[in-house]
Amino acid sequence: MALIELNDVSKIYDGSAVPVKAVDEVTLKIEKGEFTAIVGPSGSGKTTLLNLIGGLDQPTNGKIIIDGTDISTFKPDELINFRLHHIGFVFQAYNLIPVFTAKENVEFIMLLQNIPKSEREKKAIDFLEAVGLKDRINSKPSELSGGQQQRVAVARALASTPSFVLADEPTANLDSVSAESLLDLMEGLNSKHNMTFVFSTHDQRVINRAHRIVTLEDGKIKSDVLNPTYQKNEA
Amino acid sequence: MLFTLAWRNIWRNKKRSLIIISAIAVGLCCGLFASATMFGMWDSIINTTIDRDLGHFQVHSKNYEDEKLVTDTIPDFENVITAIKKSKDVIGVSSRIILEGMASSASTSNGVRIAGINPDDEKNVTSIFKQVVKGSYFDESWKNQIVIGEKLADNLGLREKSKIVLSFQGIDGSIIYGAFRVVGIFKTESSIFDKSNVFVKENDLLNLINSKIFSNEIVARLNSVQQVDSVYLPIKKEFKNLSVKDWAALAPELKVFYEILITEMNVFVGIILFALLFGITNTMLMSVLERVREFGMLMAVGMKRSRVFVMIILETISLSFIGGIMGVLLALGIIEYFGNSGINLSAFTEGLSMFSMSPVLYPSLPLSFYPPIALMIFITAILGAFYPAVKAIKLKPATAIRTY
Repeated sequence: MALIELNDVSKIYDGSAVPVKAVDEVTLKIEKGEFTAIVGPSGSGKTTLLNLIGGLDQPTNGKIIIDGTDISTFKPDELINFRLHHIGFVFQAYNLIPVFTAKENVEFIMLLQNIPKSEREKKAIDFLEAVGLKDRINSKPSELSGGQQQRVAVARALASTPSFVLADEPTANLDSVSAESLLDLMEGLNSKHNMTFVFSTHDQRVINRAHRIVTLEDGKIKSDVLNPTYQKNEA
Repeated sequence: MLFTLAWRNIWRNKKRSLIIISAIAVGLCCGLFASATMFGMWDSIINTTIDRDLGHFQVHSKNYEDEKLVTDTIPDFENVITAIKKSKDVIGVSSRIILEGMASSASTSNGVRIAGINPDDEKNVTSIFKQVVKGSYFDESWKNQIVIGEKLADNLGLREKSKIVLSFQGIDGSIIYGAFRVVGIFKTESSIFDKSNVFVKENDLLNLINSKIFSNEIVARLNSVQQVDSVYLPIKKEFKNLSVKDWAALAPELKVFYEILITEMNVFVGIILFALLFGITNTMLMSVLERVREFGMLMAVGMKRSRVFVMIILETISLSFIGGIMGVLLALGIIEYFGNSGINLSAFTEGLSMFSMSPVLYPSLPLSFYPPIALMIFITAILGAFYPAVKAIKLKPATAIRTY
C-alpha cells in the first residue's frame, strides 16, 4: 500500500462566476521513502494539490488516502489532529513563531502532541543538531539567516515524527548556497532515515535533486517520471 | 508553553500593548476613585448624621412613634440604659426628653424640637458640643441655658446670652412657657438641623413641667457602625415592649440615598467597562489581523482551534491583568492620599449642608469592593477577546498561510 494515494481527486473552486477546476481528476501514488517534486507553471495546480495531500484542503471529488486512512471526508478538527501526527510542513516563508527560539519552535510541535517537557526538550536539541544548528538553539528567527530558519522549519517538521514531509517551495527565498545546503540536508534525511519528502517547486535546483518529478498542467498530471539526472548519479 | 507564547505575543508590539494596558489602568483607577468618592460621600452623610443627633440606635416607647407626645415615655428607662451599657462596644448612652414646641425671640418665632439632655451624657453620644461656634456648650453659670443652631439664631435675630422663650405642651396638656438664655450657638453640616433643634438641660425642663425624671428617647453610641447589629438586636429582643431601631431604620432616606449612590456607581463603572470592551476588542482584532499567516501556520502544523482560541484569550487576560493590577495600585495610592488629606469642597458648603455632608470629603473604598471589580475586568477581557479569537479560528490554514 502506497504512503500517499490520490484516486480521481478533483478540486473545483466555484466562488466566482465561472467554476475553476484547480485539480482535475488526479490519480497519484507516492511510496514511502520517495523524494518527489511536483512541478509545473504558475496556476497549474501545484499548491492546491499539495494542500490536498497535506490535509489543508478538502477535495471536491475523489479520495485521498494517507498511510491507509481516507482523509477526504475528515472534519476540520480531525484534519488538524491528523496533520499533527502524520504530516510535517516546510513552508516557503519559513513561518516560524517569531517570539520563540529555534529550540522552542521545534519543541512547540511536541507540546501540541502532549509530549512531556523533558522529553521534548531533549528531542528538540537532537533535531536541531541533526539540521546543523546545535549552536543556535537559543536564537530567535530574527537572529537567523533564511537558510538557518528553513533548517529550523525542517527540524520542526521532523519533530512530530511524521509519515512524510511536505515542502512548499522550500528554496524559493534562499540563495543558491543555502538552497543547496538545505537540499543536501533533506536528501540526507531521505537516504539515511527513509523519510519521504514531497515538494512543490519550480526551482530547477530542487527539480535536479528530486528522484521523481510529477509535472502538472491545468490541474492534470502531464508527466510522472523518474528524474534522469538522479538515475545517472545513482548509477 | 502556551502561556509563554501568549505572554511573548503581547510584547511583540510594545507600544500598542502599553496603550491598552494604560487605558485599562486609568479606566479602572477612575472607576475605583469615583466609587471611593461616592462611598466617602456616603460615609460622610452617615457619620455626620450619626454624630450629630441619631447615634447608632435609639429606644422609644412604641406609642412615641405615632404622635411623638411627651407623655409617651419609656417605662423603666434606667433599666434599659443599664442593659445597653453592659455591652463593651457601647461608648455612650444618653437619655432625652423630647418636646415639640415654638422658640420665640422679641421679633419672631420658629417651630423647634426641644431636647432635654444631660450634657455630660450627651457628649458621649453626639458631637454637638464640638460644633459650638459661639459661646459654650452649657456651664454652671446660670439656670435655663439653651444651645441653639446658627440658622435659628439668624432667623430669630439671637446672639450669645440673648433671651429666648420656649413654648410647648406640658404633661397635663397645658401650654408651658419658659425663658431661656442662649449659652452657645452650634453649626453642623445640616442647615435644616441647625434651624429646627435646640438643646436644654434635662433638669431645667423637668422644673418647668414640674415632673419627676422620665425619658422619651434613649440614644446609644458604639465604637463603630459595624457593631450595630451585635448590640442593638439583643436589646431589641430583651425589650420587646419598646421600639428599638438602628440608624438605618431611623433615617430611611439615607438608605434610599445609599441605593442611589450604588446605582450611580454601577452605571459609572459599567460605562468604563463598556469603553474598555471596545478598546480591548480593537487591540486584539488588530493583533489577530497582523498575524493571519502565523495562525494559518499554527493550525496547519496541528494546533487545535480551541488552543488558538485559548491563546488569544490568554493574551487578552494577560494585558487586562497587568492593566488591572496597575489600575488597582494607582487607585489605592490615590484613595489613600485623598483619604488622609481629604478633598476640600468648602466652595460648595451651602449646597452640601442640604445633604448633611461635611465640606471635606474623604474617599474610601471597602476592600471587599475590589474583587468584584477585578472579576468584571476579567469578564470584560474575555468578552473583548471573543470576536477576534473567533475570527482567528475561522481562518482557513491553506489561504491564511499565504497571506502577506
